[in-house]
Amino acid sequence: MCKCKCKIAKALGKLLLKLLAVVLGFFAVTFTMYIFNLDMKLMAVIAPWLEKWYDHLEHNQYI
Amino acid sequence: MRDLKYLQYFEDLLQQADNALVEQAKADGKICVAYTCENVPEPLLNLDRAVSIRLSAPNTGSIDIATYYMTNLLCEPSRALLERAIEGGFNFADCVITPDGCTMMNRCVENMELLQTMGKENPNFFHEYMEIAFKNTESDIDLSVLQCTNHVLKPLAEKYGIDTSDAAIRKAVEEHNRVCRVIRAISEFRKEEKPRITGYEFHVLCLATYVCPKYLIIDKLEETLEEIRTREPDDKKWRARVLVVGSETDDSGFIKLIEEQGAYVCCDRFCFGSYPGRVPIELNDEEDALRQVCRHYIRNCHCPRMMSMDKVYGRKQYVADLAKEYRADGVIYNQVKFCDPWAYERTLGSSMLHTDYGYPVLSVDRPYNVASSVGQLRTRVQAFVESVEIKKLQGGGKA
Amino acid sequence: MKTVETIINPKKRVGEESPGKIYSDKLKVRARREWRGVKDTFYDYTRWLYLLSVLGRFIMVPRNVKGFLRYRWMMSYLFVPHGMDKFTIGLRDEALRIAHTSFNFVIADVTQAIANCFRGDRRVGNDTEYSDKCVITDENSMVTFMMGFDKDKVHTILREVPTMFASNIFHQFNVMHYLDVAQEYGISGDVCPMPEAEAGISIDDDFCVLGCCAVQNNTTCDGSLMGNGIIAKRLEREYGIPTFQLATPLRHKEPDVLEYAATEIKKAIAFVEEHTGEKWDWDRYFAAAKRVNYATKCRIAQMEINSTPYPQFFGAAFSLYNDTNYMGNSGRDPQFVKIDRKLLELAEQGYKAKRMYAKEYRHRAIIWGVQPQYVIDQLYWLLQCWGIVPLTDMLSVINTDMIVDEDTPENREQAYRDMAMLNMEMIMRNHTHGGYKVLLDDLWELCEQMNADLVMMWEHMSCKALTGMHGMFEEQGRARGIHVMWVSHDLCDPRVFTRQAIRDQVNKYMRTVFREEPLDPSLEIIPDNEAY
Repeated sequence: MCKCKCKIAKALGKLLLKLLAVVLGFFAVTFTMYIFNLDMKLMAVIAPWLEKWYDHLEHNQYI
Repeated sequence: MRDLKYLQYFEDLLQQADNALVEQAKADGKICVAYTCENVPEPLLNLDRAVSIRLSAPNTGSIDIATYYMTNLLCEPSRALLERAIEGGFNFADCVITPDGCTMMNRCVENMELLQTMGKENPNFFHEYMEIAFKNTESDIDLSVLQCTNHVLKPLAEKYGIDTSDAAIRKAVEEHNRVCRVIRAISEFRKEEKPRITGYEFHVLCLATYVCPKYLIIDKLEETLEEIRTREPDDKKWRARVLVVGSETDDSGFIKLIEEQGAYVCCDRFCFGSYPGRVPIELNDEEDALRQVCRHYIRNCHCPRMMSMDKVYGRKQYVADLAKEYRADGVIYNQVKFCDPWAYERTLGSSMLHTDYGYPVLSVDRPYNVASSVGQLRTRVQAFVESVEIKKLQGGGKA
Repeated sequence: MKTVETIINPKKRVGEESPGKIYSDKLKVRARREWRGVKDTFYDYTRWLYLLSVLGRFIMVPRNVKGFLRYRWMMSYLFVPHGMDKFTIGLRDEALRIAHTSFNFVIADVTQAIANCFRGDRRVGNDTEYSDKCVITDENSMVTFMMGFDKDKVHTILREVPTMFASNIFHQFNVMHYLDVAQEYGISGDVCPMPEAEAGISIDDDFCVLGCCAVQNNTTCDGSLMGNGIIAKRLEREYGIPTFQLATPLRHKEPDVLEYAATEIKKAIAFVEEHTGEKWDWDRYFAAAKRVNYATKCRIAQMEINSTPYPQFFGAAFSLYNDTNYMGNSGRDPQFVKIDRKLLELAEQGYKAKRMYAKEYRHRAIIWGVQPQYVIDQLYWLLQCWGIVPLTDMLSVINTDMIVDEDTPENREQAYRDMAMLNMEMIMRNHTHGGYKVLLDDLWELCEQMNADLVMMWEHMSCKALTGMHGMFEEQGRARGIHVMWVSHDLCDPRVFTRQAIRDQVNKYMRTVFREEPLDPSLEIIPDNEAY
């Protein structure tokens, strides 16, 4: 009974640690993205390509 | 062609707002009702002792003071009028009635009021602002009747004791129609293959009917009509016939400039022109005259600020109908610089008249006083006339 | 000239002292985000995550990807977080929370509007059943005429909001293409660029095409009214979408226009009923009217807080929330009530704590005129750089009268007049139209009421209603001892006045007239002219 409880506690502990690691990892990655504005820097790289894409689209210009 | 007997006389009257006939009307004890927009029913400003004088600023030069008050981004007519008001050029006015039509003209009159440019010695002087209709429905007519009652008839009656009865309105409409019929009759000569009147002459006569007391010019207009009936047209062959559409054209130099390039201005559809401004008002005996006048102004209004789509499409149809009636080879859409309503109307109109109705169109903006931009305008008109001419030679022209 | 007492902030700012350092002249976005101390940075970070989740959820839908690749204006979608950062420059504590609470809600609302557009768009989602229940309205539409319709059955699509209005906030160059299209087509370059860009979008065929009908109005200006003709022609003749022009009288302070305005509202409602097949529901209307009144009460309370020495509502985030709530919502969505309440609570909390958001408060300013879309962060900048407290902007000074909100036979007739009144007193036009008194006299009254010593006049150069009173502002300001600082711009065309050219007008005025030095010199010149 006691061993069984210990096993469950260990498993739960491991799960919590994993969860914590995931949360910390998520935080570390996203916070780095956030504080260094990496998301917008990436978009600034994409935007000129996208602009070219829009320039190539055919439009029915007319009133 | 031989010069019209009264052309010089009418030209002189257009040289300043406070012209000899305005002064004479004042001496006759008339009440000068100044106004700035074609959307105000004109006969209502000519009731009893009242005479309507449309404000204009001929021979405009510097507009620096008005530019200080309104910046250089407002249309030149609005600034020119304010400048003239500040200079004291409109001191003859006993009141100013203006609609909240286009924003710039409204601001112009508001500045006149705030600066107390007029009426300092006249305790009865007043400014009135009207809401005007946007659409062509019965409720718009209701609005117009209410606005005319509250902002035209009531103040005229209260301040100057003007008779605003139904009978007075009918009498004013009849006098108004007499002028319209003369202008219409003269206009008919513009349809001729060899017209007996130039577009420039017509413009001078038509403009005079807005800026002079009508009762003082009607006899000379009628005499001019008779003179034109027997006038021998020139043998001159015009290179093209054009219809001019757009913002108010107070400078007859614009029409002259077009005609100097060989294009005959066979018809006009601009603010304070003959269409629709000089279309007679038909009254019946059954309905209240005020309501009928308001209905006429709404039904016949082709101001770009009328926003319902029947009016939006209708304006282009109206231009096309006029072009057909007057056998125009092309259409010149013009706007005074910085005029918002005509900036859009010019674009859509020139596009539709070309694509939907097949007319060659020149789309151009211009200053209020054309003299400041003659070279550019001349080049644009020359090129247009040539293109119309080439199309005609190639058997094209109007599609 | 009038002066106000300078208030020194007794508390040192937590985190970064000089937000000017986060800008970069090499990048088109900021070099990094602002460090606001642990608590506020973490809060800002969580809000950033929330934004990403909103945007992420949106782009997970395949038809939204299709729409993204079809419409040029969708490029601004990429820069929403960048845009959000513009609304929080230098902010901490309650003001930061107010900015996020209000503007994140607006972003979520606009994102939903785009999703709705794409769902019904004939080129993208083509959900005809949905589209048949959509009513298109203008970006500057008061949607009071939709207050009695079930918003889950009749969808109000302000399709110009994401396409033009919001797009320009997030990406300053995004409407230039449409201005060029409009001008190539022949529209003059001197008209207001906002309706011109909207006309350009229509000419370029870059609006979503959906809806069973459209309601246009003349609520802003001549340019807006005239641009509608171009847009309606395409809607009607090419796409077969009937349009109704809701005429709104200009002289809104005159009692003799009210009946006409009310009749127009009735006609608009009948038009919507006819085309959607749905019926106007008075219970729904009066419930919405209660929410409108609640929002009005909150707005009055907000103004009172901002009249004190410790204002809590700043800048464009709050003003845009007000726009959305007053104009685009008009009491239809109960969610706004919660946000209103939360914003007021935050403000009261900040006021009680005498919270200040700059080192010094040197001047108290009323911001009059129309804000340029692409310099949406200017009011935060004023506060941080020069210690000028923007007490309110013109667009936030809207109706303070209560409307009837109990369902009785008499109130139903009055309700039409109330809707008409709200419609006539739409944001901006309630001051730019209706006679000079609402533009001039209201301003001076506000200066008195809020104890302002300075008016920052946004001189939107193409706005004829405003510039037409230029000299009068000068003369009357001088007579009252109020400084009038002119800041010219061209609303949404950064080619005419760059961001720095706009800020320089303030810099010059502050140095030459007030002879002051900036509170934060790092902000005096910001290398963001080329930034999105």
